[in-house]
Amino acid sequence: MIRTPLRPLARILDARQKGENPDAIERENIRLRHEEMRDRARRRAEGRLLVLGLAFFCAFSVIGARMGHLAASEPAEPRASAAGAAIIAQRADIVDRRGRVLATNLDTYSLYAQPPQMIEPARAARELAQIFPDLNESDLLEDFTGKRKFLWIKKKLSPEQKQAVHDIGEPGLLFGPREMRLYPNGKLAAHILGGASFGREGVHAAEVIGVAGIEKQYDELLRDAARGGQPLELSLDLSVQAAAERVLHGGMRLMNAKGAAAVLMDVHTGEVISLVSLPDFDPNDRPRAPTEGNPSDSPLFNRAVQGVYELGSTFKIFAVAQAMELGLINPSTVIDTKGPLRWGKHRIRDFRNYGPELSATKVIVKSSNIGTARIAQMIGEERQQDFLRSIGMFEPTPLEIVEAAGGRPLLPPNWSELSTMTVSYGHGMSATPLHLAAGYAAIANGGMYVAPTVIKQDRPQYGPRVLSPDVAEASRQMLRKVVTEGTASFGDVPGYAVAGKTGTADKPKERGGGYYEDKVIATFASMFPAHDPKYVLVVTLDEPVETSGDEPRRTAGWTAVPVAAEMIRRVAPLLGLWPEIEPGNLADITLTSSE
Amino acid sequence: MSYLEYTVKYTPAGPRKLLYLNWPVALLLAAVAAIGFLMLYSVAGGSFSPWAEPQMKRFGAGFVLMIIVAMVPIWFWRNVAAVAYGLSLVLLVAVELIGEVGMGAQRWIDLGFMRLQPSEVTKITLVMLLAAYYDWLPMKKVSHPLWVALPVFFVLLPTGLVLAQPDLGTALLLLAAGGGIMFLAGVHWAYFAAVITAGAGLIVAVFQSRGTSWQLLKDYQYRRIDTFLDPGQDPLDAGYHITQSKIALGSGGWSGKGFMQGTQSRLNFLPEKHTDFIFTTLAEEFGFVGAVSLLVLYTLIIVFCVISALNNRDRFSSLLTLGVALTFFLFFAVNMSMVMGLAPVVGVPLPLVSYGGSAMMVLMAAFGLMQSAHVHKPR
Repeated sequence: MIRTPLRPLARILDARQKGENPDAIERENIRLRHEEMRDRARRRAEGRLLVLGLAFFCAFSVIGARMGHLAASEPAEPRASAAGAAIIAQRADIVDRRGRVLATNLDTYSLYAQPPQMIEPARAARELAQIFPDLNESDLLEDFTGKRKFLWIKKKLSPEQKQAVHDIGEPGLLFGPREMRLYPNGKLAAHILGGASFGREGVHAAEVIGVAGIEKQYDELLRDAARGGQPLELSLDLSVQAAAERVLHGGMRLMNAKGAAAVLMDVHTGEVISLVSLPDFDPNDRPRAPTEGNPSDSPLFNRAVQGVYELGSTFKIFAVAQAMELGLINPSTVIDTKGPLRWGKHRIRDFRNYGPELSATKVIVKSSNIGTARIAQMIGEERQQDFLRSIGMFEPTPLEIVEAAGGRPLLPPNWSELSTMTVSYGHGMSATPLHLAAGYAAIANGGMYVAPTVIKQDRPQYGPRVLSPDVAEASRQMLRKVVTEGTASFGDVPGYAVAGKTGTADKPKERGGGYYEDKVIATFASMFPAHDPKYVLVVTLDEPVETSGDEPRRTAGWTAVPVAAEMIRRVAPLLGLWPEIEPGNLADITLTSSE
Repeated sequence: MSYLEYTVKYTPAGPRKLLYLNWPVALLLAAVAAIGFLMLYSVAGGSFSPWAEPQMKRFGAGFVLMIIVAMVPIWFWRNVAAVAYGLSLVLLVAVELIGEVGMGAQRWIDLGFMRLQPSEVTKITLVMLLAAYYDWLPMKKVSHPLWVALPVFFVLLPTGLVLAQPDLGTALLLLAAGGGIMFLAGVHWAYFAAVITAGAGLIVAVFQSRGTSWQLLKDYQYRRIDTFLDPGQDPLDAGYHITQSKIALGSGGWSGKGFMQGTQSRLNFLPEKHTDFIFTTLAEEFGFVGAVSLLVLYTLIIVFCVISALNNRDRFSSLLTLGVALTFFLFFAVNMSMVMGLAPVVGVPLPLVSYGGSAMMVLMAAFGLMQSAHVHKPR
């Protein structure tokens, strides 16, 4: 760069000669130089600006092109390919056999906070504490002003609560969509439905997973998007279930029992129409499993499916039916019932002395332990075990709820001849009320085993034949006589021809060492109508005491039977059964209108 | 060169200054803000609360602030540039210290009438300082290593403080704006070439080192980079925002679904729908046409700023105006890129449209400085 001197000597001298101020020349030159520098700077700046402008332009083009590309693209929902990565929110409904809703979903919101986004944490904390009385303002403020970047405040909001929180206007309070499981009928069928809760939880969705009952058993099926939200149809009937629960609840209170169970089952399809276990719970607010006390007394415990009890005399019909099937006896065969029956150091007694001998029918009607034990001796251990196995008494029931696997029958460790004798009248072996219902269903439907199910079926589901139709018919007639002239006389429901067998078993002590004198399990296993049974009903009461008489009465005939009769009275019309006159006693018929 | 060295024929004074404001820029700002109100109204489901109404009040206050700042002569602002810069550094440190004792992780300072985010303020004070510095520095010293090191220090000091908060987005914006002004001021291009080469080398090194014994980043940091490069990999977690906003942009198509008809943003698929990701609502409801219209408005603001800068003989005014324009450009370019999946999600709001007070006030103050330079330019 050529620098022009600020005070060029020639011009200075020249100016002096003319009497001008030479400083003016210097000032002028300084000004020119400044302007020259400024112009150079400006040119450079403009060049730089051009480069930057080019960068701007590129950025704009890229953004514009990208925008165009995205605008032209088909919006596609992302699909997670990794297993378990997706949280599938939509869970299928569960409905009863007539399509009435038992479990459905409710859209709701969760509330969470992102403290870094908050503008007025103090006000937000104050107003939140007003909306949710269970929240503490100072705790919230501590969370909002602390180091946390994220916190859950509420898992579920009602629409009103959501609006109130929205009205705070705090950008750091955010909502996550949620789908929650709703059981609109409350406690109804709680033990079958089980319950659901949130699994993996994200801001935008949370997984609803079944935690018990059918919800857990069919968790994958209910969540399977490929089924397109098709509801799961159960075999339960909502009206029958409601009536059965009411009656059993009343009966349990009346009989001072601490628990009760009832199973109503279709004898041809194996469908469980109603299954009740008391005490029960609300699946919408499923209680935690108890940490102390006997778990089998918890409301969560399903007595009908998980509870294994010695079911007592209800088992006697199995021994008699099998003996008839084997041709060892017929209904009128005379059985020696002289008591007590000694076997080693054990004695088998009857409740009362029924005399030295009874017919096979009378053994059932009077419920003679000695007579049944004699019949069992005729059958022998091997054949008895084969028969009980064939009606499902050796394995947990195949009912489609997760708890069913826990109902494994307790069998005698060494199946001796003595075991054969005690098992024949329902002692020394424990099974669930559902096992008993399945066994009775085989007698009721003419001799075919049916597996109990809670899923709606549209045709009979017969398993292998276990009894011939004639033997099943003879057994039913015996059971009918138990009601008309035997231990279950309270079980007679006019028009519905109830047949059944009572069973009262002393409860074993928890620590072992014998049985309680004053604690029983009272069971009534029944079927109706006796001449062509459609349904089997098993009612079991845990520690019932009937106190209307002089002495407390605990036998099933006084406790379980009246409850079962009341239940049949209430549910039979709901099941579409008309009261009818039993065939065979035509001479007794009187038409009321002719009087 | 001092402002006083220019021969100034005329400078407006008093209320007449209002006539000399750069009104096109002011009106464009109002237009962009109006789009913001519309979007906030729509995002709240057709309601002025909780977002649209406070935002309107803030913009009103911001507009007044802009005019007040514009009325103050530009030479005053140049003289206080260093003080303002120092003050903002003090605030940055203060918020760090007060934040430690429980004032909040929010990085705010409560001024009573408003909450101030020092990292936002720093964005202007840094521009002011650098403009004043290059105004003061003789042209021939601009590329001298010593005189380059000083402004680099000025830039890195607040960047480091902001990075410690941690606020990566703002830190990067400061770095880019500082570098941009140095570039405009005429620092030798070799410095920039060296920095860019070093940066590129570092990126290559980071990727090359993955899985080796001298791995430079932690595994989770690599995963974040992976997510940015392919959000589809992890559509429910880290890639969620991007995937959802891409769906919104895609479903908007060319002309959009219509005002208040957007589903993606109004159905809560996007948690940041009213702040950083508000652009998706615009793109969904008004489509490509709406999005490009906003882009055009932004571009016009920049163009008017650049014209104003070129017509200003004062070096400070010119650099300041360009610096403001550059900061503004970086804001919306980064936000739009982020929303469209061109850049990682760093948490930069869409200027004047996103809900939020601090950024809006600071931006309006910055445009006040630009207006002051425009009003008081040597004529």
